[in-house]
Amino acid sequence: MVAIGTLQEATSAGTLQEAASAVPLQEALSAVPLQEATSAVPLAVTLLFFGLLVLLITFLALEERLHAKKSVIAGVFAIGCLLLGEILEILPPGTVIVGGETIHLPVYIPGIDWNVLAIIMGSSLFVDIISKSGLFTWIAIVLTKKSRGDPVPLLVYYGVMTVVFSAVLNNVTAMIIVGSLTVVSLKRLGRDDLLLGFLLIEGFLTNVGGLLTLISSVPNIIVGSAADISFLTFFVKSGPYVLVAMIASLWLGGRLFGIERLTTDEERETARNLVDGFDENDSIESSWAFWLGAVMLVLFVVAIATASVTPYVRELGMGYVAMGFGIIMLVRYKSVADKFYQAIDWDLLGFFAGLFVVLNVMEHAAVLQLAGSGLARIVALGETVGSALTLVAAALASSVTDNIPIAAVLAKMLSSHPEIGGDPTSPFWWAVIFGANLGGNLTPIGSASTLVAVTIIHKHDLTISFGGFVKKALPFAALQIVLAVVYMLAFLR
Amino acid sequence: MAKLDQFESVFRAADKPVYGYERVEIAKILVVTDLPAAEVAEFRSRLQGFLSVLSDDTGAVPLWVDLGVDAFQSIEELLELVASEGADLVCTYRNLFTKAWVQPHSLGDYVDVLTQIAPCPILVAPHPKAGREFDHAMKNTDRVMAITDHLTGDDQLVNYGVRFTLPDGTLFLSHVEDEAQFERYIATISKIPSIDTDDAKAAILEQLLKEPSDYVSSCRDILAAQGISIDTRAIVMLGHHLREYKRLIVEHEVDLLVLNTKDEDQLAMHGLAYPLAVELREIPLLML
Repeated sequence: MVAIGTLQEATSAGTLQEAASAVPLQEALSAVPLQEATSAVPLAVTLLFFGLLVLLITFLALEERLHAKKSVIAGVFAIGCLLLGEILEILPPGTVIVGGETIHLPVYIPGIDWNVLAIIMGSSLFVDIISKSGLFTWIAIVLTKKSRGDPVPLLVYYGVMTVVFSAVLNNVTAMIIVGSLTVVSLKRLGRDDLLLGFLLIEGFLTNVGGLLTLISSVPNIIVGSAADISFLTFFVKSGPYVLVAMIASLWLGGRLFGIERLTTDEERETARNLVDGFDENDSIESSWAFWLGAVMLVLFVVAIATASVTPYVRELGMGYVAMGFGIIMLVRYKSVADKFYQAIDWDLLGFFAGLFVVLNVMEHAAVLQLAGSGLARIVALGETVGSALTLVAAALASSVTDNIPIAAVLAKMLSSHPEIGGDPTSPFWWAVIFGANLGGNLTPIGSASTLVAVTIIHKHDLTISFGGFVKKALPFAALQIVLAVVYMLAFLR
Repeated sequence: MAKLDQFESVFRAADKPVYGYERVEIAKILVVTDLPAAEVAEFRSRLQGFLSVLSDDTGAVPLWVDLGVDAFQSIEELLELVASEGADLVCTYRNLFTKAWVQPHSLGDYVDVLTQIAPCPILVAPHPKAGREFDHAMKNTDRVMAITDHLTGDDQLVNYGVRFTLPDGTLFLSHVEDEAQFERYIATISKIPSIDTDDAKAAILEQLLKEPSDYVSSCRDILAAQGISIDTRAIVMLGHHLREYKRLIVEHEVDLLVLNTKDEDQLAMHGLAYPLAVELREIPLLML
């Protein structure tokens, strides 16, 4: 694993000739600086691959219209880029020395960040198994009953739940859980008129909640890994913002969508009786499984939070922790483990694998170096203007295409920047994190969770056009982005 | 969006109708017969003994009004009388003004129309001359059974069952899911490759039977909270309606069956009610 990691670093740094002669990677890495290696790539080749990268991002933005899954789009570009890279002789031969033994390793293997894939795969497996224990639905129903069916407390509870679930699980799962409960409970209360507002607010809050921890969203994982930000540091720095943005979004949502408290005792009594019909224990298979799920979830968060400082685990990484917990939980359902494999989001994993391969080829084609020169101009504007501009630019870019390639490309660029690369305290990292997450709130295609919100809206015969969504989303996105810029400049420099 | 539907299903399953108790008031009872005057009093007397539950808990005694052969000449006149009297219950028996009770194949015109038009429930007793009733029938109502193919949320059915069950008696809340219909759906599912037939059959059956069971639990809790001392038992199963109810009546020595007859969508009697009412002749039926 270590050797593979060093190969990746080596190839990232462009040690083409060295890798070709199969020398140990540490030596290879130290032998050739980035500038020297990438300068060998003709500008025409770089521009060709740059065009392919732009095309990939465009295709991803048009995913719905193309009726193609992300994994297929990224996969097609990955195999195309690899072949083209090989023909144009910009890729290193895949020979590597592991433990003194020379083995052949195709370039697309070390090109993939397996740690990120392991985190996503392990986390989704773990969360899926935990959800079978009924823990999340129990929490959701208890909060629904606690609200007594009054719309304002219901919105607050669902808002907090959305943020917390987005932080602990992932944005899409959080939106699915809270969104589906919202549909059932509002229909039960006969308040279908509030459904659109609730679902949109929840959709916007998933992306706020996605900022709470290092593993809450994929851009966090990518940028956090690149910047070497620990789980605890991430939480401490982003937590206050998430709290403020959540309160502000709920307040704004309540006003814009006319969500008001019940006024008469009769209304309150009726609403309370209606939500009392929910049975929080209905989906709990057994109390043993429920408590196991609760304990394991706490342990999972603790293990992830301390992964960077725990001996032995530190070397294995967060991907090991996530996969470890996923596999441990599978023991509980060992006879039907295959059902959980089916629940893994293979499209997302395939997309990542393809994307990482494409980005790896882009590095060898000096595309990121070229794009990085543009970023250098923004960085040159200074931490205040430069980071604010980066945040807004990342948000705008993330609003029209997938935030994952945006985050991945920007993280790669920042990593190779001489002043920012080795400095995890630089505000530019946070600019990318905030921008990539919050930009998703601007359009219905900006993030997977807002897309889920729109899907639920359409499923229940409510209509909202692309423009209608943007119109409703703009105040929220603007508020959150302005708050993020102010917060970043005030506290994260 | 499979997961979306999964979670919506979980939450819908958790959203359970809660039983709402409401005491049924029976202040006036009409006894409709085609018997000679001398036999009317005897029949009413049997009914009063049988329905002692309606007068012994609060001390209030319902008003019993006889409507014999002299009171009306047609179904229309009978319906007008029932409406004008403002009765809470009509007690009668099948095949009024015909000899058709000899051949047990119908309820007769009067009862047929009464059960559909009358604004109050109809208690259909075994025909006084047919001699088909069980030994335990018409004695008291310490074992009452409410029957339906959709128990969940049917507060009215349960409330009538509760009202007609003697204190410390037993109320059976039964829900028989039609096996033939279920098997027909499963047969269709078995022809759809994307659905695992065994999984679907187990899951659908479990959910079908779980909902009424949960509702009975809710009834039990609410009745206990109301201080009503009757033993509420759930009978939730898959089977053939008529066969199962015949078996259950004998097995549990049921004194009174309570069932819905009116169907909001049609003039005809509720699909399940008519064949049951025709076939179950050995004990009284309370037809709502």
